[in-house]
Amino acid sequence: MKQTARIISIYASDTAGVCSMLYELGGMTIVHDASGCNSTYSTHDEPRWYQHDSMIYISALTETDAILGNDARLVDDIVRAAEEMKPRFLALCGSPMPMMIGTDFDALATELEQKTGLPVFGLHTNGMNSYLNGASQALCAYLKRFCIEVPKEKKSVNIIGATPLDFSLNGSVGSIRSWLKDNGYQVVSCMAMGSSPEEISRAGKASVNLVISSCGLAAAEYLKKRFGAPWVSGVPYGKSFSAQLLNALELAEKTGICQSPHAARTGTKKVAVVGESVTASSFAAALETDCGLSVRVLCPQALQPSILADCDSLIDCEDSMAAAFAEADVVFADPLFEPVCPRGTIFIRHPHEAFSGRCFSGEIRNFVCRELKREMFSL
Amino acid sequence: MIKIAIYGKGGIGKSTVTSNLAAAFARLGKKVIQIGCDPKADSTINLLNGDPVMPVMNYLREYDKEPEQISDIAKEGFGGILCIETGGPTPGLGCAGRGIITTFSLLEDLKLFETYQPDVVLYDVLGDVVCGGFAAPIRENYADHVLIVTSGEKMALYAANNINSAVQNFADRAYAKVFGLVMNRRSVEKEEEKVRAFAEANGLEIVADIPRSNDIIHWEDQGKTIVEGAPELPVSQQFLALAQKFLQEEK
Repeated sequence: MKQTARIISIYASDTAGVCSMLYELGGMTIVHDASGCNSTYSTHDEPRWYQHDSMIYISALTETDAILGNDARLVDDIVRAAEEMKPRFLALCGSPMPMMIGTDFDALATELEQKTGLPVFGLHTNGMNSYLNGASQALCAYLKRFCIEVPKEKKSVNIIGATPLDFSLNGSVGSIRSWLKDNGYQVVSCMAMGSSPEEISRAGKASVNLVISSCGLAAAEYLKKRFGAPWVSGVPYGKSFSAQLLNALELAEKTGICQSPHAARTGTKKVAVVGESVTASSFAAALETDCGLSVRVLCPQALQPSILADCDSLIDCEDSMAAAFAEADVVFADPLFEPVCPRGTIFIRHPHEAFSGRCFSGEIRNFVCRELKREMFSL
Repeated sequence: MIKIAIYGKGGIGKSTVTSNLAAAFARLGKKVIQIGCDPKADSTINLLNGDPVMPVMNYLREYDKEPEQISDIAKEGFGGILCIETGGPTPGLGCAGRGIITTFSLLEDLKLFETYQPDVVLYDVLGDVVCGGFAAPIRENYADHVLIVTSGEKMALYAANNINSAVQNFADRAYAKVFGLVMNRRSVEKEEEKVRAFAEANGLEIVADIPRSNDIIHWEDQGKTIVEGAPELPVSQQFLALAQKFLQEEK
C-alpha cells in the first residue's frame, strides 16, 4: 500500500511545522483542532516548550462546532485571547476536521484582522502534510508581513530554515552562526531560532542567504525576488564540505546565482542517508568528502526535489524504503527506521527530531564543521 | 478575468442559465470555463452535444488516483468552452460539499487558470449555500460575482433570499458579491411584480429577464443551448445582453 506506514513512524505534521517555525516570534499560533492535541504540537515536537514561553492556542473544536460551522465561536475566542495575551500577530492553521468541513482560514484571517487590528495570516495546513510544508508556509507568510526595506550590506547573511525539528537543541544552529562569523560574515538573522523579530524584519540587509533546511527554500526565493539576494542551500557539516559551502556562499554573492553544492554528488546505492533533503544531502556530502564514502540520500519528503543529486531518491512509503535499504551495505537513519532495515545491512543510528520527537534527541550529534571520520560511526 | 457563481433553488434553471451565459460569452469571442458544482453533474451537457465529460469524483472513484492533467477531467464544448463537472459521492454516502473543495484544490494543483488563461469562469452551484463546500465557489480567488436565478414562485424567492443572506453574512470575508437576479420566468401570476418587490427590498438589480420559452427545451433536446442553436431569438439575446453587461462592468 502506497504512503502507508505499518511498522515505522511518520514525520511531524504541517501543523507542527507552523508551531515550530513561529515559536520564538511573539505571535499566537492558533490550531483549529479538538482539545487534547496540544501536547503533540507543543511538547512532543517542541523541545523549547520547557525553556521558552510561546503562545500556542488550540481552539477545542467540537463535533457540534463542526456540524454547525460555528466559526463565530472560534473568532470570539481568538479575539478574547488576543486581548488578554497581546501577541504581535495571529497565525491560523488547521487540522483534519477543518479540512473536511472546508474552514476558510484566509477568510477568517481577514475577519480577525478587522476585529483585532493585529496582522493575521491563514495557513493552509490540515495535519496530513509534512512539517516542511507547514514551516515553509509559516515563514513565507511571516516575512511577507514583517520584512522592512533596508540597505543591503556586503558579506551579510540570513540563516533560513532553522527549527528544532531538523536541528534539535544540540548546538548545531549556534555552530552554524559561529562558522559564518568566523569566516567574516555578519549574521543578520536566523529564521527562526535565536533571533528577535526585529532582526528578522531586517532580513533584506543580507547579501546572500544560507538555507539550512528545505522549509527555508520558499522564504529564500521570496527574499531573492524582493531584495535580490541569492541563496545557497547546505549545512556546513564536516570539514571539507563546510569549506565547499563557504566557497558557494562567496560565489553566490559574487555572481547572484543560487547554489546547492551538496547536490554535486555521484553516490552509489551502497551507502544511504535518510532524511530531510538539505540536511541529509549535506551530511552525505560531508561523508563523501571527509570519509571517502559514496553516498546517496533517500528522501521521504522533499519540497524541492531539484536540489537533490541525481543519485538520490524520493521515497514516500515504507515498502520502497525497505527495498532501498536492502540494496545498501550501510544506512544512516533515524532509529525508528531500523525495523525495516534488513539483516546484513549495517544500520547507523542518525536520529531526526521531526521523525522520532524526543525519543532519541540526546543522541543527535552536532556535526557542524567537525571533521567526520569512519570510526565515529564504527565503520 | 470575470468569475461568476450561479446559485438558485433546485430545478429553477441554473444550468440552463449558466450554459447559455457561457455560450453567450463564447459567441462574444471570450475564452470560457464552466465548472458544474452539482453532484448530478449535468451542468455542461448542453455545451457538449449531450456527450458528458467525466466528473472529477467519477475519475477518483474509477482510477483510485488524482487526475494528472486537465484533459483527464475536462472537455471542450461549444465555442471552445472548457467543461468540468465536480460530480458527487456515491449517492447516500460521502460528502458532496467536500467533493467541491477537493475538486477546486485539484484544479489549483493542475494550474487550470494559469494553463488555460480564461477570460470568464462560471461556477454552476447546487441549489443553496448549504455548507462550507457549497460556499467554496464564492471564496476569495474563486468567483467575484454571484448571480441568483429565481422565478416568481414563493419557494424560489425564499431560496434566493437565503442565498442573498448567506452572501451578506460573508461581508467581512472578501467573498464574492451579488451581481444581480436572473428572472427565469415560469408563468407565475404577477411574476415580474413579485420578483421586482424582492429585488427592491434587498437592494438587488434584475440583470436579465428570461422569458418562458419552448425554444430552450427544443434545443436542449438536441444537446445544445439556445444561444448555440438560435442566437437570433429574443431569449438568446437576453443571455448575450447579460454577457455584455458583465464585460462592460469589467471595463
